[in-house]
Amino acid sequence: MAVNASKPLLRQLGLLAVLFGAIPGGLALMGGGYPFQIGITALIFVTLAVSLNLVTGTAGLLSLGHAGFFGIGAYAAALAATKLHWPFLLTLPFAGLVAAAVGVVVALPTMRLISIYFAVATLGVGEMIHVSLLNWVSFTRGPMGIRSIPPIEVLGFDLSGVVGGYYVAATVAALAIFAVHRLTHSYYGNALRSLREDDQCSAAMGLNPVRLKVQAFAVSCAIAGMAGAVYAHTASFISPDSFRFEESILILAMVVVGGLGSVPGAIIGAILLIVLPELLRGIGDFRMIAVGTFMFLSIMFLPKGLLGEASAISLARRQLGAAWRGDIGAGWK
Amino acid sequence: MPDIFDAYFAQQIINGISLGLVYALVAIGFTLIFGILNVVNFAHGEIYTVGAFAGLLLIVGAAPPLLAVVLFVMAVGAAAGVGLERLAFRPIRRFSDEASLKSRAMREATLLSSLAVSIVAREVMAHVFGGEMRIIPQAALLQDVITVGPLTLTNGNLIIFGASVVMLGGLQFMLYRTRVGLSIRAVSNNVLGARHVGIDTNRTIVATFAIGSSLGAAAGILVGLYDGNIYPYMGFAPGIKAFVAMVMGGLSSIPGAVICALLLGISESVATDFLSSGWKDLIAYGLLVVTLIFFPQGLFGHGRERV
Repeated sequence: MAVNASKPLLRQLGLLAVLFGAIPGGLALMGGGYPFQIGITALIFVTLAVSLNLVTGTAGLLSLGHAGFFGIGAYAAALAATKLHWPFLLTLPFAGLVAAAVGVVVALPTMRLISIYFAVATLGVGEMIHVSLLNWVSFTRGPMGIRSIPPIEVLGFDLSGVVGGYYVAATVAALAIFAVHRLTHSYYGNALRSLREDDQCSAAMGLNPVRLKVQAFAVSCAIAGMAGAVYAHTASFISPDSFRFEESILILAMVVVGGLGSVPGAIIGAILLIVLPELLRGIGDFRMIAVGTFMFLSIMFLPKGLLGEASAISLARRQLGAAWRGDIGAGWK
Repeated sequence: MPDIFDAYFAQQIINGISLGLVYALVAIGFTLIFGILNVVNFAHGEIYTVGAFAGLLLIVGAAPPLLAVVLFVMAVGAAAGVGLERLAFRPIRRFSDEASLKSRAMREATLLSSLAVSIVAREVMAHVFGGEMRIIPQAALLQDVITVGPLTLTNGNLIIFGASVVMLGGLQFMLYRTRVGLSIRAVSNNVLGARHVGIDTNRTIVATFAIGSSLGAAAGILVGLYDGNIYPYMGFAPGIKAFVAMVMGGLSSIPGAVICALLLGISESVATDFLSSGWKDLIAYGLLVVTLIFFPQGLFGHGRERV
């Protein structure tokens, strides 16, 4: 038993070693600066895709306004850091809390809606957030954006460079992945999946659909908000243009390309859709065309995504020691 | 003082009606396609742009009369719609049984495939025509001023109004008086039932795409000539507004979508009296969210399904 228990642990440590050792090493070999910048962007979008996957993949609530919550987090962190001079360790949770609070306010009235109606409501909310960021000039400085957001400094350590930014983004992404992994691969995740399949039926089984949906939505918004904080501090300049409908769609595309409901899929999708355009930089203006084509082909030929939900779950169970193994009894974990 | 205000107000109402009719033309395409397939066609905004560019090319190349331009654009739009259906919708469509009709995965895949096609189409257009706005020959613009008492209209207002009324009327006639229209209504009512009575569903769906897309493309060229600019990303905003109108109207009700599109256009236009123009977009989204919360079936929807 001890051997069995340590194997997943080793694998998890191995993944962490890749994230914190091998990838930055490789990026440094590729020439430092710009590759690290792409690494940071990829990790921020990994965080976003994983958080969207919890709502859209696992709980089945198609959200078309995720970039709005990303933006709320970024603005909350940027304003707290520039106006109140809060350190990063405070702005990060603050951004998460603000985004989650807005998420709950949005979710409470809209959670009764299902399928496309909910998607449209989130689209409306996401656009309202964007319009507010753009036009509330006295508070958000509107289209001029917020400049000179202080770089990251944690407990006296200066993490202002791209390498430091990479490690911060990697830590936040790892924590987000861990949180979503534990939520998804558990009985709680099964409850969310039952809502996706048939929420009336799961209500009849004694679950409280509205409560579960609001919880999942709030957690997802909190993670998106924290991704926003990382973005604000690493980019040091934010403007409403980064949080439009197109970004929501990009995040959704990542989740879909990777496989709805599959956490590793969301990670793969995010990395692919950020790194692919960079690899295709050589073909210049055609790269967005290539990304669109790639998305189209993956929907046509891999409708379940690169790593579908079923295989992702069995992977998580067998290789990473996720919950509900046979030897542990039933119950909420 | 009140006189001036009234005139100004009336002016805004007139502008709002023009805007609303354009939204209506785009919204009808959305509504027809949603009614028949139960999926949102995200590439509809690009059809609008395609229409505008096709019209522009024809005007620059041959300078024909406006009616010929509009008819040409509608034909191009219909062809684009048929191509879109073939490319993004048909490969993932399975109309074999109840389960596949209601499958959420299928709907989401369709939604995303149309989205992917729209990205590719937009970027290809941006690449071919350049990201900047295109200059339209002065003679083709619909900006001749017509003064009626205190009001200032342009011939664009009148042409948009006339063309929209004709197209909407034609659509109603077609849906209720022709065989194609009858089969469209039958398929949108019940796909399997329509198949059982011998309606070719695929052909009907293609017809729906052709009709909806030709209206959207016509709206694109009319707005391009009225506003005086045509650019690859012009389809996004009207696409979203039309989408809002469709949802407010109850997703598959054409009169509902038209009324809500007019409501949306007029309220946006009147709102510029009270708000700075940047905030006016908030009206559309605010109305959308309020409608969804308080009238989840839309203002004119039927109790077709749980929302």
